[in-house]
This record gives sequence, structure tokens and C-alpha cells, in this order.
Amino acid sequence: MALQRYTAAVDGTIPIPALLYGDEELLASQDNVGIYDGLQKAPNHQTGTVHVSTHRLFFIHAQNASSCSFAMDLLHVIRTAHYAGLFKSSPKVTLFLDASTSPDPAAGAQIESDDVFESWECEVCSHRNPPGLSPAAARICALCGVPRSAVPSSRTHQISSSLPSSTTSLSPSVGSSLKLSSSNDPSSGVACPACTFLNYHSLRLCEICSTPLPQVSRIPVISMKSAPSSRSVSPPPDDGDPAKHIIKLSFRKGGDKVFYSVLRRALKAQAWEAWRLILRDNMIGSSSLAVPSPDRGSSPISRPSGIDSILRNVEASAQNTRTDLTDALKDLEALMVKAKGLVQLAGELNEKLTASSTTTPAPAAGSMAVASPFGSTSTIVVSSPTSPMFSTTTLVPSTEPEEAKFIRSSLSQLGLQMSNAPVTLDMIRDERRWIEELARELARILQGSADSYSHQKSVGIMKERGIVGLDEVWGGWNRARGIALIPPSTFLQILPLLPSYTSPPIRSRVFKSGLSVLHTPPYTHAAFASRLAGCLLMSGSQTTSQVAQEENITISLAGEMIEAVEADGEICRDDSAAAIKGGGSGSGTEIRWWNNVFREYVWDGQI
Amino acid sequence: MAHSPQTTPSGFLLPSIHSAPPFFTEQPNPNTQAQHTEQWTRIILTYARHKRLFVLRVEDAAVPGGDWDEVLRNERINRRMLPSHLSSILASMVSKNLAVYEPPKQIHAVLLYWRLPEEWADVLHSWATATGQLNTILTYYEITDPPVPSPLSNMPLPLLRRAINVLTRSGRAQIIGVADGEGVRLFAGGK
Repeated sequence: MALQRYTAAVDGTIPIPALLYGDEELLASQDNVGIYDGLQKAPNHQTGTVHVSTHRLFFIHAQNASSCSFAMDLLHVIRTAHYAGLFKSSPKVTLFLDASTSPDPAAGAQIESDDVFESWECEVCSHRNPPGLSPAAARICALCGVPRSAVPSSRTHQISSSLPSSTTSLSPSVGSSLKLSSSNDPSSGVACPACTFLNYHSLRLCEICSTPLPQVSRIPVISMKSAPSSRSVSPPPDDGDPAKHIIKLSFRKGGDKVFYSVLRRALKAQAWEAWRLILRDNMIGSSSLAVPSPDRGSSPISRPSGIDSILRNVEASAQNTRTDLTDALKDLEALMVKAKGLVQLAGELNEKLTASSTTTPAPAAGSMAVASPFGSTSTIVVSSPTSPMFSTTTLVPSTEPEEAKFIRSSLSQLGLQMSNAPVTLDMIRDERRWIEELARELARILQGSADSYSHQKSVGIMKERGIVGLDEVWGGWNRARGIALIPPSTFLQILPLLPSYTSPPIRSRVFKSGLSVLHTPPYTHAAFASRLAGCLLMSGSQTTSQVAQEENITISLAGEMIEAVEADGEICRDDSAAAIKGGGSGSGTEIRWWNNVFREYVWDGQI
Repeated sequence: MAHSPQTTPSGFLLPSIHSAPPFFTEQPNPNTQAQHTEQWTRIILTYARHKRLFVLRVEDAAVPGGDWDEVLRNERINRRMLPSHLSSILASMVSKNLAVYEPPKQIHAVLLYWRLPEEWADVLHSWATATGQLNTILTYYEITDPPVPSPLSNMPLPLLRRAINVLTRSGRAQIIGVADGEGVRLFAGGK
């Protein structure tokens, strides 16, 4: 009986934090708890978890979480008792409930749901209050502290319109006590709420002013609007049986002491009371829920309002952020501690591997067990003398290094390579094979593939050009690869291998300025120098741009190549900055190139 | 290359290389630049002897109209020596003792040694012997501006002093301080 009267069903499949009000806080939880309704066990609530928050007590059933779970407001609890348990009897906590605050099962729930799941705007400061606060808190604007029920008429209408379904069924049983007053007799008409004209009872609008008239069928409801007086009448209080107001929590697997102390603290704090006091101050007893209970004798906790509350809100959120941040950083520190251990482990592993690999090559079967104290796999295999010796000794050298290589290469891939670990030949061979594969791929990119199926579309980067900048090659290659891009360092490692995979061989060349290119044989230094010398011999002199045009390369590239030839002393320059007319030292000057006129010059002037 | 030697209005025979445009550009290649500077040094000294010029200044390359135009400029191929280029050539000449900065402690003007001071000393001594002025005191003015033109005419005083110093060291001359300057007495001895 007590369970029915004081608790409200909740859907236990929803996690507890989601069930809490915005200003509610989960304090403690305990599983394996059964419920006694009065002095008897409640049959549907025998195994479950009990959670206590600042405002409520939750019971979540272990199996039928959706149907057999409930929540109860702590405000009903007037007294608690603790029973430590004896032999097979589990420890129990008894909650004595206050009969006077027992809520009307229908109306109370209605109001509550209205309040909790609806955001509303304060008509004083226009602050939009978010939904999800506890029923008491939701009645006060979070910003200015003005109670919500200052909205007068609309709310009472809401309540009255939500009531009829339950009250109409109730009125016949109550009978004559709710007899309609004589003033509301249908024969005397209906008074217009605006102009007080008595209309005929079947009219819906006032004859005089067209104001909507209250309906005849709702007249009894209007008379019931002052609920508290009628409430004590309708469900006859049965104070005689104290078991009606007792709920027991039976702790089947212990945890009762901790839970009980937390529960007592929550009851003492009376988080709901602070809001109720404010409510009482602001709206004097207009709602049945706000009836103060002075017998609890709690010291009135003043709730801040206005600017003060805003500031406090800001402070609280800052505090939250700070604690969240320190929690997060704690995780990070823990990870770092772990990482140190991991590195140490890797180091130890590496040392063991090194030790075992140095001892295993001597397959003296008898002394093996002694010789390799570190290599765990080898000792296990060899130290069993009865096992076929021949097969194990042949097996150890072949598998063990493989595994060691694998582990070591994994370590190096993780960046945990130890400085004392030698780079084994196997790793180098692997890398070399990789690089070779890459070189082959690059050769295909540069010269076009020899495959027959892609004959028509695959034209290499260097198909028509003899010399290409390294940056262009790198970019083009990576674009061709799409993903799994090649880093420049690997790219540079590949270049020395390139000539062996290309025909004609493509070589790389670095100019004095640092410009790197790939080129075909016609663009080697010697070939270019002789070509340039011949060209200059025929035409006398040429500018850089003329050479570039002749060679079909860019001007800057031509400049680099010509300067390399100049460094050999094959050619010399004529700077037009030295011109008497039309020269000058502007950007318009251009260098003409001559064959070296000084070399092999014989003096033919005046002696 | 179709360059050929050219004769200037003053009768100086310019070498064929003077008609090659690269000759007027500094070459970055050090070997090429060395050959290039060598040819320039030779042209400058030959021309200086031809026109009896003793001083070459960097400004001669910058400002047209001086004594050196025939060498430092080539109108036919539209090329001229840049001052920066000339000063680097002068530096190389000084380092080879083919010229000396005069006055010292600057690098804008040089005294050209188309004859070395030792050679000038011989010239001076043989001139004095030929004109019978041994053992007499000669002022510097009498040497550099004699009534009868001599190889020493218009010789700059610094160069003359160096030549006399050479003679003094070998005991063939004695410097004498006179009232209005300096004098020198040349001896026949030593040789």
C-alpha cells in the first residue's frame, strides 16, 4: 500500500543519470536490495539496485527494469531506522513516511510531468528556463528567483482541464458532499465571467459580450479548485495502521551501513526544502505541493537570486570545467606512466633477444640449456632431454631468429628501437627489397609502363622531356599513388637505384644552387657542354633564353646547366650591363654566352 | 671569331681580344678570370707606355673623356669597362707589383709600373750620364721637367723618389736637402 501511494513508476532501462533532475545529484548506489511494502515483502521488488540522490530514492529491478522500477521523493520520509541483521535476516533500513505529504496519485503526477518536461519563460525577466529541474526548483525562475506560479489564470485553467477525467469518476463515490451549490443550478443560468450576465445554461457564448462561457459539465470541477480541503476528504486517511506508511529496504548482500549514512545525509540536507521555502515565501500556499512542513525544523537556506545567482552559476560551471580538466589530465599522466613501463619492457625484450640470438648459433645440445638463460623459447625446447633432439636443434635456429626479427622490427616500427640493438641484415634486406620495388614503380611512372594493356594511355612523366625537376617527379608520383604517399627521404633513397631500372638510364643530378633533377643521357653535363660549345661555335654567342629554347627546357634550368659548363671554363659570359648605350644595370640586362675567348689567346696587339 | 686587331687614333694597336664583348665582363670562373685579367693588365701597361701615362684611376672608367677612353671603352661593340671591374683589375696589378696605390691607403688610383722603379733608376742614371750631370746637385724639378725632353719628362714625383731610393741603396745617388725642396746628387760609382 505504501509503495502504491508514495512511489511513481519509472522506466528502469534508462540510466540513472538521465532520470535525474537538473539540480539533482546521485549520491550512492547499492545492488542486491529487496523492498518490503509495510511489513510484507513486495513481490515484484525483490532483487534490484537502489540509488539515492539528493531528492529521490530509486529502485531499479534487476530483471524487469522497465516495469518493476520506481522512484520515491525523499520529502515523504520523516524518520529512518537501521536494523543490523541477525543470522539469516538481512540488514534492513526502514523508512517511515509522512501521511500528510502523501500525494494525490492522479493530480500530483500530472502536475509534475507538466513542470518537468516543459521549458518556460519567466514573465518578469523573460529568461527561458530549461526543463529538467526538480519540481520545486522548476517553479522558480533560475535567473531572477520569481516563482513561476505568478502566472495566474492560465495555470489554474491548465490544472482544471487536466483534472476532469479522474474527478468525474470520483464524484459519484463521494456523493452528496460534492453536491452542486444552488447558485450553479442549471435553471438559474450561467453567469458570464466577464459581464456577470446570467446566460441560459446551454449557451456556449455570452449573449451580451460573446465571452466564452464555462461549460455546465465542468461546474463541479470549478468548485473543487481549492484542492487541499477536499483532498483530506476524498482518500480517507487511515492513520491507524502504521504499516501503511513504512517501506523497508533489505540489503541482501550488505552495503547497508554506507548506504544508510548517505541516505541520512541526504535527508538532513533537504535539498528540496530550500526551494520549497522560497516558494512558500513568494506564493502563499497556493499550491498543495508547496505546503511547508515546519515540523522538520530545518534552518531556512536562503537561495540567491538575481545577479548573485548568475555569478554563482558562472562560478559553478567554471569549477566543473576545472575538475573535468584535472580528471582528464590525470588519465594522461597515468598513460605516461604506463608508456614508461612499455618502453622498459621493450628494452628488456630486446636484450633478451640479443642474448638468445648470440647463444643459439652454437647448437651443442647438452650445454644449450645452460648457455641460454634468457631465450625462454630455446630453453624450454632444449631442456627436455627426452624429446627428439634432432628435430628441435634443427628447428631452433630457423624459427627463433624469424620471431626475433619480427619482434624487433615491430619494436622499431613503434619507435621503441633500442640504441644498443644492431640493425640486422634481415631488416636491411627487407628495406632494400622495398626500395627496389619502389624504384621499379618510379621507373614505370617516369618512362611509361611496358605493359601491353596500358600501352595507349600510360605516358611517363619523362616520355617527352629529357630533364625534369625532382619536385615535379615527386609530386607526380605521389599523385599517381593516391594514398600511401612516399616521404621525400625515401624518395631520395630510391634515386640511386633508378638507373638500373630504366632504359635509357635516368640519373639524378644536383646543381650548384641545390636544384635537383632527373635526366636522360642526352642531358648529362658532358653531352650538354659539347652541344653548347658546338652551338656557340656556329652562332658566335647566345643568350640563356635562346639556349633554353633550343634545348626545350626552362630558362632557369638552362641557366643552371650553362653555369655548370661555365664553371669548367668552356664558355665565358658577356654581361650587357657593361654596354655603353642601352645597357645599364637594370633587370633588363641579359647575359650572352661565348666560347672561352681567353683560352689559347695569343697577344696580337702592340708590343 | 672574326675579331682583328684595331689601331686607335693615337696609333695604338689594340689586340683582337679587345673587340670581344666578354672581355668587358668579369668572369665568375677563376681560371677564365685570371687569363682575362692578364690580358687587361697587358693592354693597360702597353697603352700607358704608348701614351706615357703614369696614373690610372677608377674614375677613368666611370667618366668618359679621359686619357684612357681608347682602352676602357669600345664603341664598336658597345662595351665599356665598369668601375667595379676596373678596381678589381687594379687590385690584381698591385698584388703583382705592376702598380702601386698612389697615394697609399686608398684603392681608387694607382701609379702604373710600366717600368719598375729599378728600371727607372737605370733610366735616370743613364740620362744623367748622357747629359753630363753626374756629381752635380739636381732638383727633382730639373729631372722631371728638363729643358730638353727626356724619357723622364713629366714623371710623377713619387715614382722619381722610388727610383732615386733604388739608386741611393746601391750607392749611386745621395739625397740632399736644399732650401726650396729636395735635391739629388748622382754618382758614377757602383756600376
